[in-house]
Amino acid sequence: MTNSAVSSSSSEPRRYTGTFICGYLIAYVMLDWLSHLRDITPWNPQAGLTLALLLVAGPRQAIWTAVAAFLAEIVVRGVPALWLPVFATAAAIAGSYMLAAILLRIRGVNGPIESPEQVISLVCVIVPVTLLSSVLYAFALPHSAEQSTGNVVRYWVGDLNGVLTLTPLLLVAKDWRLGLHGVRQRPWEVSAQIVSVLAALWIRLGPHAINDLVYVYPLFVPVVWIAFRWGVVGAALCTLTLQIGLIVAADGNDDRLLGNLQFFAVTLGTAGLLLGATVSSRAAALRHVARREAEQRAILSTAPDAVVATNASGRIVSANPAALHLFQLTTAELVGQDLEQRLPSIQVNAEAGRVSLEGRRGDGSPVPLDVAWARLDAPATEGIILIIRDVTERLASAAQLRERDTALARAMRFAVVGEFSSALTHELNQPITALVSYVRASQILAAPLCDQDARLPETLDKAAREAIRTSDILRRLRDFYHGGASHLETIQTESLINSVVKTYENRVRQLGVNLQCSFAAKLPSVQADPIQIEMILHNLMSNALDALLDRSETTRKIALTVSQRGTDILIELDDSGPGVGADISARIFDPFVTTKPGGMGLGLTISRTLLRSHGGDLWSERGSLEGARFVVRLPITTSSRPTL
Amino acid sequence: MNDATIFLVDDDASVRDSLGLLLSLKGFRTLLFASAEHFLATYQPEWRGCLLTDLRLGGMSGLELQDNLKQRHLHLPVVVMTAHGDVATTRTALQAGALDFLEKPLDDEVLIDVVRNAIQVDRERHHVISAQTETLARLERLTPRERQVFNFLADGLQNRDIAARLEISPRTVEVYKARIMEKLQCRNLADAVKLSMAAAQQAPREDK
Repeated sequence: MTNSAVSSSSSEPRRYTGTFICGYLIAYVMLDWLSHLRDITPWNPQAGLTLALLLVAGPRQAIWTAVAAFLAEIVVRGVPALWLPVFATAAAIAGSYMLAAILLRIRGVNGPIESPEQVISLVCVIVPVTLLSSVLYAFALPHSAEQSTGNVVRYWVGDLNGVLTLTPLLLVAKDWRLGLHGVRQRPWEVSAQIVSVLAALWIRLGPHAINDLVYVYPLFVPVVWIAFRWGVVGAALCTLTLQIGLIVAADGNDDRLLGNLQFFAVTLGTAGLLLGATVSSRAAALRHVARREAEQRAILSTAPDAVVATNASGRIVSANPAALHLFQLTTAELVGQDLEQRLPSIQVNAEAGRVSLEGRRGDGSPVPLDVAWARLDAPATEGIILIIRDVTERLASAAQLRERDTALARAMRFAVVGEFSSALTHELNQPITALVSYVRASQILAAPLCDQDARLPETLDKAAREAIRTSDILRRLRDFYHGGASHLETIQTESLINSVVKTYENRVRQLGVNLQCSFAAKLPSVQADPIQIEMILHNLMSNALDALLDRSETTRKIALTVSQRGTDILIELDDSGPGVGADISARIFDPFVTTKPGGMGLGLTISRTLLRSHGGDLWSERGSLEGARFVVRLPITTSSRPTL
Repeated sequence: MNDATIFLVDDDASVRDSLGLLLSLKGFRTLLFASAEHFLATYQPEWRGCLLTDLRLGGMSGLELQDNLKQRHLHLPVVVMTAHGDVATTRTALQAGALDFLEKPLDDEVLIDVVRNAIQVDRERHHVISAQTETLARLERLTPRERQVFNFLADGLQNRDIAARLEISPRTVEVYKARIMEKLQCRNLADAVKLSMAAAQQAPREDK
């Protein structure tokens, strides 16, 4: 597996074509041949290549490892006398690395090595596996001379070196462009690092230093430096370079020193990888933090709510654009202020909480706020995060709604009392009329007796006046409650009706009523008192819903139809209730006539009175839903008339 | 029943009774009805006086009663009463020709004034009607020929022209003229023409 082979397949990492496998086979054989400087190889890069392949492409590809090992044996060491040992060694190598790949994949190592844990997993797996592979290999060979402990150790160290230097590098090979990009950004440092590698090699391999192991220690310097700067990849690349340098230079040296150098290389490689992985994981963590910070900045800057952070002493340390907008201050003004300057009444007495309070803008003007806060965890950083929302608009619309409800309730109360007093006036005026007439008649009848007592006509006159006064009181009472004259406004018919219907949404849903509203297109606006019209509609809707209570849910229907007829708007409200009983249908608009237990019997009376005062009318007829139909006729332009 | 009577229509028995008592004590003749229907069923064209009715009645309302009388060309003066102070309805009643309007409870002085006035109106109206009836009766007395001559005279034709049209002598026209004046009880031609015009106006209205 070469760099180019990997990069060509990087776009489709899961497809391993014949070319790819052929590339692997050729590379394996070449590496074996190159590293086979002696009978026993000092360094086995093909082991690293194999493990990388099996980790990326899967342990099943070990079949190709067997093929590669077999081919290499024949190509590098010549056609054997006996075939069986060759098959056996190929199988031993393939089996060992398959085992290693399986174990590593279980440990989660199947891509670029980035953390120290992964390096430790790699070392812990390949040390025993390469040992196993070396033992099997040594004992599978026919030559008993090769089956010594020393050889096994050499195979072992050679395989370990091959894996430690090449596998981490090959696992990141597909991202080589990123590496090149990094190198281009720091050309001087890279050059210096290359010089340091060469210098370390020269110290070890220069004519003065032959055979002295003391001179290997400077090799750590470039490894540490490069690992620190470039992480795992740098460390692997550096040890690979040093490895190649050592082997090339060691050609001709004695086996023993070469073995010692290889052992040293394992140490160097492991240490370099561990350091590199530590650096890599720290870089990854920093990247993660940076990304999170960028995300948070984006969230804070786009958040519709104000977000403010304070330190332990309650001083504002950061604020998002919404906070600046809310308090009408600049960052420079807001940051550094005490939180209490902006939220004078805030009491942060728990870990987290919510509160509604009044804040102060930059100019000191009050603003109603909803505030949610949370303390930051003490070990990380002490302080409070506050999310603040300006609720001016919400409060205003709530107040508006309340005001409308109050106005509606007051109008309803007035209408009820007005209707009541009107009915009462009429009912009592009859007996009072009779009373006054009787008293006046009595005065005439008593005229002959007046001579006996002059107080008699006077008393009777007072009695008549008192009766008339009673009537006047009643009339004043009635006039007072009818004093609330209509306030005509231009009303958008459809939206007014919809707003009334909307208030019954919950009840309609609870009762399972099928409510159909249909509006004629292009309904004109009308001149009317919106409160009074709402009251009428409320009354009719409420009646219709009450009428459905005794009906089963499936048959509960209300149909509201709004149309224009001539210069009038017609609102027809049909329900599928029991309808208006024949016994009271003639009187339902009279006061105190009701079918509802607990009903006052004034709703329809009031509604009709109000509509007539608008020049309209209200009547009932037979509906299409088999229940009642009430029809409101409302003139588009009302010539205001006195109610009574 | 030719004397002025107050026809009182009210569905409240106490109101009926007390007003009836009061009015009779004040010297009026009264007839009491509990409903508009009852009144209409009993009504006689020769009744004189006034109708005093409540606006709200069980069954036919005071307004409807007023309408009904109007449709029948009955010209009894109508006074409406209301216990309700219903301005809109009152206005409608007055527009429909009600003579006056009383708000309950009624104070006796106002009531008496209004009722007296109504009876006076009825009396005057009745005088006019009887005068007109008499005029018509006088015109009825003319023979067809005299009527022809009278019509020409009313159109302003001279004796000579009339004589030419009717192919009679002017002297005969003069005789007819004297006889017409005598029958119509007029001293001169102008009075006779006035009378004929009044009769012409009255004719389409008097159809009872």
